[in-house]
Amino acid sequence: MQGSTRRAGVMTDVHRRFLQLLMTHGVLEECDIKRLQRHCYKVHDRNAPVEKLEDFINNINSVLESLYIEIKKGVTEDDGRPIYALVNLATTSVSKMASDFAENELDLFRKALELIIDSESGFASSTNILNLVDQLKGKKMRKKEAEQVLQKFVQNKWLIEKEGEFTLHGRAILEMEQYIREVYPDAVKVCNICHGLLIQGQSCETCGIRMHLPCVAKYFQSNAEPRCPHCNDYWPHEIPEVFDPEKEREAGVSKSNRRSSRSRQH
Amino acid sequence: VSHLCQSHPGGEVPATGALGPLPSSKIVCFSPTAAPAMPRSQSAESSRREEEEGACISQDPADPESLLREELNKKMAELVQFLTVKYVTKEPITEAEMLTNVIKEHKDHFPLIFSKVSECMEIVFGIEVKEVDPSSHSYVLVRTLDLTYDGMLRDDDQSMPKTGLLIFILGVIFMEGNRASEEKVWEVLSMMGVYAGREDFIYGEPRKLITEDLVKEQYLVYQEVPDSDPPRYEFLWGPRAYAETSKMKVLKFFAKISGTDPTSLPFWYEEALQDEKERGQAGAAAGDGATSTASGSSSVTSAASPALK
Repeated sequence: MQGSTRRAGVMTDVHRRFLQLLMTHGVLEECDIKRLQRHCYKVHDRNAPVEKLEDFINNINSVLESLYIEIKKGVTEDDGRPIYALVNLATTSVSKMASDFAENELDLFRKALELIIDSESGFASSTNILNLVDQLKGKKMRKKEAEQVLQKFVQNKWLIEKEGEFTLHGRAILEMEQYIREVYPDAVKVCNICHGLLIQGQSCETCGIRMHLPCVAKYFQSNAEPRCPHCNDYWPHEIPEVFDPEKEREAGVSKSNRRSSRSRQH
Repeated sequence: VSHLCQSHPGGEVPATGALGPLPSSKIVCFSPTAAPAMPRSQSAESSRREEEEGACISQDPADPESLLREELNKKMAELVQFLTVKYVTKEPITEAEMLTNVIKEHKDHFPLIFSKVSECMEIVFGIEVKEVDPSSHSYVLVRTLDLTYDGMLRDDDQSMPKTGLLIFILGVIFMEGNRASEEKVWEVLSMMGVYAGREDFIYGEPRKLITEDLVKEQYLVYQEVPDSDPPRYEFLWGPRAYAETSKMKVLKFFAKISGTDPTSLPFWYEEALQDEKERGQAGAAAGDGATSTASGSSSVTSAASPALK
């Protein structure tokens, strides 16, 4: 090997188990993925030190690379929680979904996707999506059926539903960002701070630039007078709370203290 | 912001994990030799470097052979992705499906692609592509590892995940002579603080879990004891338990958690050994017939265990 800092990843049962479970869940939050990692070590290599998560994942990714698959890390748009998903890199279309859904279902998703991208808020109403049911490719689908298909998308974590409106789940953004940028280059919105794809966010009313909610939270952290980074006008929106892993950990500790009072002996 | 995408050299990576341009050359070599198509790592900064091991040749677009190889590599990656989705949906897959959806125009190369993909699935994911019906060429995806029936995410380090509960029950069944009465199972579970009807923080409602969920998953068989009046029920290993694990593995698990050795449970160790031998023979070519040279003690155990396989 040339003088690279990382050697070719070696797959052990710990990594394989991790991949299987990650595949099964589709997308996981960071705390869950850490737990999953520890679980895999516990089951397959009890005595080995648990590798730092980032290195662990990089190791696996080096093996997955030639398969155009990757464990990608992202952040939920609404509250900034880190999430991880196994994504296909060579996305020619909504390919992971393609194995799982029928042609007309995929087309329904595409229609919903378009409405979401074109919308101002990043949400598409159920009504508007269902009105497009007649335009779907493939077998004819009735509105009732389409409602169920939309629920299937929510269950499989491709869409999120909030009060009858739908937006993209973090998983869909991770998996399809490249596809979306390629197919909808004009309609796509981008965050002014991180330059990532933006579906939900806040926008400046003067100059129109947009930012993700977690990006807003981080950028304006403890700033009493938030101003638009582009035009310097007052930022008119409420600054959201940023996800704090430390607070989560404290909450988790008190939870587990309650749990460990149940004795588990074997 | 820590980044996981390798193709980003140093510097800030967008928080939402925006992807850089797709790699244009291949790392995996689909060489005609028997070498498994394993990827090589690469340094984070450089562009793709030359393949240096095995018979792999770097890309030469003008060369039709290397173009074909590139196509086959791509098909291989697509088929792997296809199978990973099927693994989650737990549906069986037919060869016809694979040809129509993925392989398409390269169907003459299907056997080669398929064998590479099977190998890859095992090495990378620990999943075996097992043929279940040779006439229709249909396959299922089974874990090559021990059981991973999993709902463990809400546990903490002190408690056993659901998998542990399942292995426990399998162990009880095994040690009770490959069938365990329902009463026995609940007796053992109560020692873990798990009771029927009492909603458990981790396992949910245990009765539903073991008589319905695990049965549906084919890990357990829950059946009425024949000629029992009033009807009593018993548990046996389900077909998926046999497929995914073995008596020896379950025995080793118990030995490990009690800090002993499987050989310190000689009665069951013999049976597990016999089971291992039979599994090995089942894998070998048919012909010899049952040449199980039962030693004195194992003939006793094989009488005790009903033919459940």
